[in-house]
Amino acid sequence: MIREPPPFFHRGPSPLARLTFFTLAAIAVMIADHRFHALETVRLSLSVLAHPVQEIAALPSAAIVRFTDYFTSQDRLLRENRALQAKVLEQAATAQEAKLLRAEQEHLIAMGPGKSRYADNGVIAEVLYTARNPFTRKIVVNQGLTQGIKAGMPVIDGTGVVGQVTAVGTFTSEVTLVTEKGQSVPVMLVRNGLRAVAVGSGKDGAIDVPFMPASADVQDGDLFVTSGIDGTYPPGLVVAKVASVEKNAAYMFARIVARPAAAVDSYRYVMLLPLAPAPPRPETRDEEARKPARAPGPKVRREGGAGAPR
Amino acid sequence: MRPADLTPVARDVMKLPASVGLMFVSLAAAYVVAVLPWSGAWLLARPDFVLLVLIFWTLNEPRSVGQGIAFAVGLLMDVSDSMLLGQHAFAYVVAVYGAQVLRVRIMSFHLPEQTLHVLGLTVTASCVMLMLNLLLGADFPGFAYFISPVLTAFAWAPVNWVLYSGAVRRRRREAAS
Repeated sequence: MIREPPPFFHRGPSPLARLTFFTLAAIAVMIADHRFHALETVRLSLSVLAHPVQEIAALPSAAIVRFTDYFTSQDRLLRENRALQAKVLEQAATAQEAKLLRAEQEHLIAMGPGKSRYADNGVIAEVLYTARNPFTRKIVVNQGLTQGIKAGMPVIDGTGVVGQVTAVGTFTSEVTLVTEKGQSVPVMLVRNGLRAVAVGSGKDGAIDVPFMPASADVQDGDLFVTSGIDGTYPPGLVVAKVASVEKNAAYMFARIVARPAAAVDSYRYVMLLPLAPAPPRPETRDEEARKPARAPGPKVRREGGAGAPR
Repeated sequence: MRPADLTPVARDVMKLPASVGLMFVSLAAAYVVAVLPWSGAWLLARPDFVLLVLIFWTLNEPRSVGQGIAFAVGLLMDVSDSMLLGQHAFAYVVAVYGAQVLRVRIMSFHLPEQTLHVLGLTVTASCVMLMLNLLLGADFPGFAYFISPVLTAFAWAPVNWVLYSGAVRRRRREAAS
C-alpha cells in the first residue's frame, strides 16, 4: 500500500517547474502588454494601489523643496521678479501683435469651414518625478483621469514642446519626452517652411531630424516648430534648435542634430494641451482621389512661407 | 547546541517560521525605498532592496516566499517604474530561482561569500532586464547600469543583519513565552 508522505514533506512542484511556469507567464504578460496593450486595466488598478505609497515616498523630498523655497532669500525673489517684469514688457509687444494676428486669423477661419487648430487652454500640471527607468525618458505629472487627461495630449512648458502623454493613471500621468528614442514630432523649419519629422535620439538633450536631403537648406541655429499636420500638436510650438548639420556627399541625407527647446530635464510645471479634434476622414474612393487638394499640407506650407519674409 | 552548529537543513527544521507581518513590512519598506523620486545618476545607482528582501526570505523562509511572490512583486515594480509589464517579474523570478537552487550552499557560507553569491543573483536579474529592453529596441544605457546590482549586493550584509535579527528576536521571544 502506498502511503502519502506526511504533509511536512510536501514541497509542491520543483523549482525548475515553477521557473518554467513563471517564465512563460512573464513572457505572456509582456506580449499582452507590448503587442495588444491588453493590460491597461491591470496597470491602472495596480497604480491606484501603489499611489499612496508613492505619495508617502515623495514626502521627504517635497518637504525639503518646500523648506528651501520658504527660506529663499528675498534678494533672489526680487531679482527674479525684476527679470520677470522685464520679460513681460518684452513680450507685451509680441503678445499684442499676436492678438491682432490671431483676431485676423479667426476672422479668416470663420469665413471658411473648419476650426482653429491653435492651442487655447490647457491643464497645468506639476512634475512629480522622473520615471524610475534607465531605459526610457519619461516624467510623471500630477494630473490624471480624474482631471480629464487623455493619452496623446501634447505637453509644453514655457519655452517649447516637452513631449506627449503616453499613459494615464487615476491621479497621475506619464509624459514621454521628445528626447525618447522613436518619439516623433512633425516639425517645420521657421525660416523657410521646410517640413520634417523630429525624432528623439534616446540621449538626453538631443533630437535627430532624419531623412533630410543633403541639399536641404538647414543651418545651425535654425528653429523647428510643430507643423500641426499630425492633428496632435497644435502648429507653431517651438520644438528644437538645430545644433549641428553634417553634410557628407557619401550619404543621401544630412545628419542633423537639434537641441530640444524646452528644458526637457528640469522643470516643475508643464501644461497639457487638449487633443485637437481628429480631422474628417475621406469616406469614399472618389473622395480619396480628390484628397491631395484637401490635404492640410499645402496650407501649412503657406503659413510657413508667409511667416518667413517677415 | 547553538543553531549555528547545525547543518542548514537541520537549522531550518529547528526554527520557528518568521512572522508573515515581518515579511510584509520588510517588502513594503523596500518598496517605499524603491519608489523614492530617484532620477539621473542616482537612478542608475539605486540599490534594488526589493530584490534583496525577496532573496533573503527565499533563503530563510523557502516555504512561504518563492517565485510566486517574486512574480507578483515584480509586476508591482513594473507598474511603478513605468516599464513594460512583466520585466521585473521575469528578472525577480529568475533571481529567486537561483536563490532556491543555491539555498543550502549560500546558507552554509559567511557574509562575504554570501555577498558574492547575491552579487551573482542581482547581476543575473539586471542582465535579464537589460536583455529584454535591448530586445525591445532600447539603447544600452552604458556600463553604469551595473552599478545598481553591485550596490545591491553590498547592501546584503546590512539587510541580512536587520531582517535576521528581527526574525531571531521574535523566535527568542516566542521560545521564552
